[in-house]
Amino acid sequence: MSTTLRICHLYPDLLNLYGDRGNILCMKQRLAWRGIDAEITEVPAGAKADFANADLIFIGGGQDFEQEVLLSDLKSGKDKELKAAIQDGKTVLAICGGYQMLGNYYETWDGVRCDFIEAIDFYTVGSRERMIGNFAFRCGEHSGGSVVVGFENHSGKTYLGSGVEPLGRILAGSGNNGEDGGEGVRYRNVFGSYSHGPILPKNPSFCDFLLQTAIQTRHPDFCLEPLDDRFELAAHDAVLRSVLPDSEKSGI
Amino acid sequence: MHFIRVFLAVLSCKLSRWAIRLLGRGGTAFPGRVALKICPDVLGVVSRNVRTILITGTNGKTTTSRMVEQAFIDTKKSYFSNKSGANLISGITAEFCMNATLTGKAKKEFAVIECDEAASKTVLKYLKPEVIVATNVFRDQLDRYGEITHTLNNIIEGISHSPESLLCLNADCSLIASIPSHVKNPTVFFGLNVPLERGDAKVLSDAPHCIHCKTEYEYDYRTYGHLGGFRCPKCGYSRPTPQYAVTEITAQDVDSSSVNMDLNGRDLFLHINLPAVYNIYNAAGAAAALDAFGFQRAEIAGALASFDCGFGRMEKFDLEGTPGRMMLVKNPAGCNQVMRYLAALPDAAMFVVCLNDKDADGTDISWIWDADFERLSTMGDRLTRVLVSGVRAEDMALRLKYAGVPADRMEIIHDYPTLVERMCQSEDRVFIMPTYTAMLDLRSTLQKRLGGKEFWE
Repeated sequence: MSTTLRICHLYPDLLNLYGDRGNILCMKQRLAWRGIDAEITEVPAGAKADFANADLIFIGGGQDFEQEVLLSDLKSGKDKELKAAIQDGKTVLAICGGYQMLGNYYETWDGVRCDFIEAIDFYTVGSRERMIGNFAFRCGEHSGGSVVVGFENHSGKTYLGSGVEPLGRILAGSGNNGEDGGEGVRYRNVFGSYSHGPILPKNPSFCDFLLQTAIQTRHPDFCLEPLDDRFELAAHDAVLRSVLPDSEKSGI
Repeated sequence: MHFIRVFLAVLSCKLSRWAIRLLGRGGTAFPGRVALKICPDVLGVVSRNVRTILITGTNGKTTTSRMVEQAFIDTKKSYFSNKSGANLISGITAEFCMNATLTGKAKKEFAVIECDEAASKTVLKYLKPEVIVATNVFRDQLDRYGEITHTLNNIIEGISHSPESLLCLNADCSLIASIPSHVKNPTVFFGLNVPLERGDAKVLSDAPHCIHCKTEYEYDYRTYGHLGGFRCPKCGYSRPTPQYAVTEITAQDVDSSSVNMDLNGRDLFLHINLPAVYNIYNAAGAAAALDAFGFQRAEIAGALASFDCGFGRMEKFDLEGTPGRMMLVKNPAGCNQVMRYLAALPDAAMFVVCLNDKDADGTDISWIWDADFERLSTMGDRLTRVLVSGVRAEDMALRLKYAGVPADRMEIIHDYPTLVERMCQSEDRVFIMPTYTAMLDLRSTLQKRLGGKEFWE
């Protein structure tokens, strides 16, 4: 396929806390190994976004210090544009803070509410305890069905609206809220997750599913060829063994 | 009644330390915890009348402490230090108790104390140093410390308890340099007036936005990470002019650096007995602290030319004929500096990375994706072999694959004796980059094979 995948990296200046660069690097390399170019456009705060000309939008996780900057930039119009792009079926990968941002709001544990872009019906409530550590979940059928391993570190508990599907079901760890067994969100072509680590390099099946989703919006019959994933799977399996010591026996 | 508590605290500290040593262990935290349990403010009593230099910050604490300490050794001063990384309230308390009489009187005149940045807010409630050196704040162990501004706030809170201490601050770190806006302490700054990178260079910055108004900084030049000649275009906050400034780097090689310094108006040539740019910062901080403390220029230069850091800070090993160096890494900023040092070496090298994710390392290893391992692949054929080990070896190997290290040059070896065996067989220099607990394990394996003193001595 002589095409280029256009990746829009939203807020690389604000949302870059947990190795988010690794997700970009991973997508770029896995495409390059198959002879596909990736064109990465960074859209920092203050810059104009051109979501219509992107095949995939990536949003990482950040810290509270810069949150005001982020919210005021969203309000300058990016919120509506991003929402429209999502409704339009753009492929989006959103991690941690970037994931929360797509919902309705974040309410801190002492009751301060921060409005988000309302692209997907869910909300997040801060808790005093952090959900932190290596974790694993199995993606739903619409997300490729692979087992994803990563590291979660969030105090926000996310609750999905009725009819909104999680990205997967927790095998070990907390996920969205530590209560309902769901992790992340899956809506149209949006993949939202609390998994940093970063998520893509050691979950090659998930990464390829994401890339394929993005490519297929322009080339519906396109399939990615398999790669030599020995290093990737070794890293994946090592984490899975540490969080689920019986994983091999039970065939996960 | 308080003096009885002090007596009991110091006594039990000494006894438990003695008992632990008798068991052949190097524990330093437990005796301190015992003392604190008996007398929570014992540190305030036993540190009274001890003229102390305290060093805190994310990176460079240990090295700066060793540099400072060397001047005390050379001038035969009556001093002590917390050597073995016992830099929390418990370890620091233990060290002061061990150097006090049973009635709580100090036995030594001076102390050189390294203090964990998060612990500084508690330690400084009791300990009142004459000089406090703050090296830098970098993103580090987010699972433990939380946000980078949280770390800075801990340091500020600590300093607010000790308003008389002279602050010796890194002018090039926009976070550290903001401390004087919160406290009234007398302050001097140190820094590098040496543009190592252009102001508009794309670098990994842990603090791109103004600490006061959150506008993106502009840089006249950069040194590394977020360090350099920063200024905020909106509120005007900018790098203060350092009284202690490195004005020129005259030489850098595999073992050392040479620099010219402006030492508060006087010239000083320094030969620094460790390589790499981050150690030039450590030297500048140490020189500033020593000058402020009253040391002579020749004594400062002598200390920096001869100090020996050890304990994984560019520590030298003789791997049965093969020269080896161990460089502890804790965070992306420090790791990038090690990469920069390695990539600039002229000779072929073997590289060994040991990545653990235990509590003391940080359980979140996502930072390896922010660190610039791509620099390794610029070494080309000079990078002859890469051995990967540690609890998270597979993650590390994957990171190196994406950084462009050829798979056929990489090998995962979990077993430390085998790893050490392979290092000893190397024909090229060996550079070992472990995280903290990996360093402890690896050092003990190395000591078994090569001999050497125990680390707590």
